[in-house]
Amino acid sequence: MKLTIITGGLREPSSTRLLADRLAAAVADEVRQRSGQRAETTFVELRPLGHPIMDAMLTGFTREELQSAFDAVAGADGVIAVTPAFNASFSGLFKSFFDVLPEHTLADMPVLIGATGGTERHSLVLEHALRPMFTYLHAIVAPRAVYAATSDFGESESSLGKRVVDAAADYSRLLHACGPRARRAEIDEDLASMQQLLGDTS
Amino acid sequence: MDSSEALGMQFGIFTVGDVTTDPTTGTTPTEAERIQATVAIARKAEEVGLDVFATGEHHNPPFVPSSPTTLLGYIAAQTERLILSTSTTLITTNDPVKIAEDFSVLQHLSGGRTDVMLGRGNTGPVYPWFGQDIRQAIPLTVAHYGLLRRLWREEVVDYEGTLRSSLQGFTLAPQPLDGVPPFVWHAAIRTPEVAELAAHFGDGFFANHIFWPPSHTQSMVELYRRRFAHYGHGSPEQAIVGLGGQVFMRRNSQDAVSEFRPYFDNAPVYGHGPSLEDFTSLTPLTVGSPAQVIDRTLGFRDYVGDYQRQLFLVDHAGLPLKTVLEQLDLLGEEVVPVLRKEFAVGRPADVPPAPTHESLLRAHRAAAGDSQPDREEGVKAG
Repeated sequence: MKLTIITGGLREPSSTRLLADRLAAAVADEVRQRSGQRAETTFVELRPLGHPIMDAMLTGFTREELQSAFDAVAGADGVIAVTPAFNASFSGLFKSFFDVLPEHTLADMPVLIGATGGTERHSLVLEHALRPMFTYLHAIVAPRAVYAATSDFGESESSLGKRVVDAAADYSRLLHACGPRARRAEIDEDLASMQQLLGDTS
Repeated sequence: MDSSEALGMQFGIFTVGDVTTDPTTGTTPTEAERIQATVAIARKAEEVGLDVFATGEHHNPPFVPSSPTTLLGYIAAQTERLILSTSTTLITTNDPVKIAEDFSVLQHLSGGRTDVMLGRGNTGPVYPWFGQDIRQAIPLTVAHYGLLRRLWREEVVDYEGTLRSSLQGFTLAPQPLDGVPPFVWHAAIRTPEVAELAAHFGDGFFANHIFWPPSHTQSMVELYRRRFAHYGHGSPEQAIVGLGGQVFMRRNSQDAVSEFRPYFDNAPVYGHGPSLEDFTSLTPLTVGSPAQVIDRTLGFRDYVGDYQRQLFLVDHAGLPLKTVLEQLDLLGEEVVPVLRKEFAVGRPADVPPAPTHESLLRAHRAAAGDSQPDREEGVKAG
């Protein structure tokens, strides 16, 4: 079971990465308990990809390090995506990554979404920004998402822990139900339809 | 027979035809100046011994070449040896009947110094301006090209299809010169379907080779070569491959870098993006001395195999005419003679030379001689 975790935190240490780590660990636990499978996790940190993402947007080509990130997403059985909340939405960097990610990469992909922010008043970015975008990309988005405010990392940590475990339990059921993800050979499909077209003319 | 045929490879330039402000002076050429500069560049290309001049086709500012065969016909009258081509002719939005007519006339005017590179065009609004829809780009390409081939090969054409009005009893006038249609290249930046189309018909495949890393060009050319063999046109090594490329040269490589940087930084397509250093390391762009350009260009063969045509982009991003002409001097005097010599070394005998009207005519006559000895005379008389 391959899990790729996309995390859009900007600072070091990053609360977004902290949430991503907790989600990844909880999902790996749930997967192991549910099916005895080992979850192999790959993290895609967006901050070091900032320049390649912008280059891809401006020139249309993908540098090696960004291509590796694309490959890690395309080759996953499930994706966990976590962003800081900026101005009532995801961060621009987070959105830009998905803007340059090749079309259809996330189609039929089970995705668990998470977000972080200064206060819990921004928690609905998950429902108003992240969920519609992933739905648009034809991902299968887990019903329970996790938001962590700064205060969650302080004294009242117990509640975040439970939310993480509950979301991981839901998501692992979804992963289990979806099974290993069939990779689409997009170029072969394009060529097959082209051969059909050429066959029709000749 | 010209030297390019003897050596197997053609070298030339291709232009986008952009009217761009020179970022170092703030001056912008008028459309008239840009068009006249394009003619001067083409004439210079012949003068310094290059083989091919190709013009883009665009239907929106800041570009001037909306009528390529008008431009190429004018250049044909002022040159004697140069092969005139396009980069690209829009197979999607042009009527195939008009393409067949325009290029037939150009072929006759230029004495066979004509071929054509077909592309789809990726500017959305251009499609509706010509009554088409970009979402239909691939089916349009296939249908239009299928008809274009018939117009150039069949004396009387009946056509019925959904993408164009029907033709009943249509005969192209003038017929292709000597009964031999212009050689067709299919060009793509990133669309594998175009490689498939070129392979299917045994036509040439031209990889843009400007915007994307070599690994991408390599996989597109590999696909084309493999499918070319699959369709029975020869071995993968015998497929007809062309590459773009982009260079800026001064004798001292540091001078080249500092002179080109403001043009690169402000270029319409990739400006304000990656640094010049990143772009030169990630894409085939070479900015430096003629020796560096020679080294880099010879390296193209390592990932596409022995190929037939190399075109360089040298006249964009607001570079002044004088500078462009200096680039052509360096290409013609120092770069291309070495490339011709070095690319010929180790080139297997069964890799075909770049197709020309003469080579296609010989093949046509040989084929006609085998099957229908009289037909060719008939075509000539007609």
